Amino acid sequence: MTITPEKAAEGRRNFLKILAGTPALAALGVTAAMKGPVRGGPVRVGFIGVGGQGRALLSNVDPAFADVRALCDINPTSLARADEVLVRNKVAAARHYADFREMLQKEDLEAVIMAPPLWAHADLTVGCLEAGKHVLCEKMMAGSVADCERMRETARRTGKVLEIGYQRNYNAMYHAAYDGIIKSGAIGDVYHVRLAWHRNGNWRRQGTPPSPDFDASKWGYPTFEHLINWRLYWKYSQGLMAELCSHQLNAANWFLGSKPEAVHATGGVLRFKDGREVFDHVYATFEYPTGQTAVFSSVESNAFDDYYEMFMGTKGTLILRREIEALYFEEGGGEAGATSITVAPQTAGPVALSSETQAANTNQQMAQGSPVSPLFDRPRSTRLQIQRFCSAIRVGTPLACGPDKAFDSATACIRANDAAKQKARLPV
Amino acid sequence: MSGAQQVLLVALRTLIGWHFLYEGYFKLATPGWGADGQPLSAWSSAGYLRGATGPFASVFHAVAASPWLGSTDIIVAAALAAVGIGLMLGLFTQIASAGGIALLTLFYVSSIPLDGLPGPRLEGAYLIVNKNLVELAALAVVFTFRTGRIAGLDQLRARSTARQSAVRSTGAAA
Repeated sequence: MTITPEKAAEGRRNFLKILAGTPALAALGVTAAMKGPVRGGPVRVGFIGVGGQGRALLSNVDPAFADVRALCDINPTSLARADEVLVRNKVAAARHYADFREMLQKEDLEAVIMAPPLWAHADLTVGCLEAGKHVLCEKMMAGSVADCERMRETARRTGKVLEIGYQRNYNAMYHAAYDGIIKSGAIGDVYHVRLAWHRNGNWRRQGTPPSPDFDASKWGYPTFEHLINWRLYWKYSQGLMAELCSHQLNAANWFLGSKPEAVHATGGVLRFKDGREVFDHVYATFEYPTGQTAVFSSVESNAFDDYYEMFMGTKGTLILRREIEALYFEEGGGEAGATSITVAPQTAGPVALSSETQAANTNQQMAQGSPVSPLFDRPRSTRLQIQRFCSAIRVGTPLACGPDKAFDSATACIRANDAAKQKARLPV
Repeated sequence: MSGAQQVLLVALRTLIGWHFLYEGYFKLATPGWGADGQPLSAWSSAGYLRGATGPFASVFHAVAASPWLGSTDIIVAAALAAVGIGLMLGLFTQIASAGGIALLTLFYVSSIPLDGLPGPRLEGAYLIVNKNLVELAALAVVFTFRTGRIAGLDQLRARSTARQSAVRSTGAAA
């Protein structure tokens, strides 16, 4: 699917028209309670995992909200690059660690923000929560249902804040769309959701070890190649379902107010037969108990369509593209064929070299469209996410994606991979 | 005094007390976080003092520039809170009222509205009389009517003192 520029302009106008008067930012969950201030300074945080996505988070730390005291990563190159981020942000240098336990022991931290490879999420999160730290963990929650449950249970037991990083939850455009179009009923009843994330390129990364004697095996990676390409192996990763689909499914669950009860999927390593394990093409159909169906596709061989979430209601169609552009078309309203879609010349953006979490996708081509509003840009969502994590710690403002919501989208994505491997329909 | 007069006087004292107490608490609670999740920077009287006008402006400006401004901030905030507690509880009411009057006098003379124009940090336009002066006058009423004797912990304090005096005088007589 792609939409002509004229049709996109019409869709943007429709979106803004229907949202007239919707206080987008007011919808971000903060309600003014009748109470005075609570004493305290910025939250003292440490970072674990300062690769591409970790640094994207680090660069969006507002010093009024968080004071970055320490950085932890097994790769010294990543630590050096993270130092550059701190210099650019004009904040004090942070101490370096390779072992998170040592960091927790030596530093007076209140919270940890982490973006390590998926397989490490549960152990690191549980370790930090048990040590009395609040945790903002990058998506997806964990690589197995058991690990997700372990994280959720530990957060409950310790009473610490656990937020899973889905930036769409902090994107004002999504809140405006949800309030103005979904919740208001303007779109009618939604039965079908289309989720797409299409790219044309190789996910494999190239890199050299930080030093000739660097030994990745002591961290569980047999080679340095496994460390930098952890996304390509089942041991560490849940592939495209975790890195891409979980973002979109999380938003679909939110908008539908439900969670999938079953999934059937297919996929495989169809193009890049270079020793990788995770699928480079996946297709999944999620069934909701309330009668809706979400269909997800992600291909690594064609970037036509780019990425979007499309909510198809009985009264209209809402399209959220690339997290920066919202279109709305009424069914049978306005111009004839308002929801028809025409084919335009393909624009194939390069595959993101860093994590698919959007704050890091600075190299993703953004040839089409423009943000509906400056409020909707991605760094703003990431920045807001970290701000809200800190205010949840200090004054208990509600989380946008706490353990329960994150659990629902993660388990569905994990089961989708199981279904694709078995070519079966599985309950979630 | 009628019952209604007494009730209203005590209510006036309580309202002024809450105003003082919250002003003091807010200042002491910073740096902190608002209920809306936004961080609040540490309160300082520096800006207010630097902007002081009127006959004592130079004194206030000197305080703003002094190295003990931080201590002044804490003293002012603590004094506001203490006055507020005293007025709300009716405890040491006369001292609290006098302290409140002194603070309000300082606030008033540091910025007497003489131009009659609305300012950027004001809700309205004032000439000579502003809210500080009105509150000061109200507190003078509270002070004059000795409302601690109408209701408040001062009553308990007075009874306790009277009992002790009675015991002492009984003992002396025996």
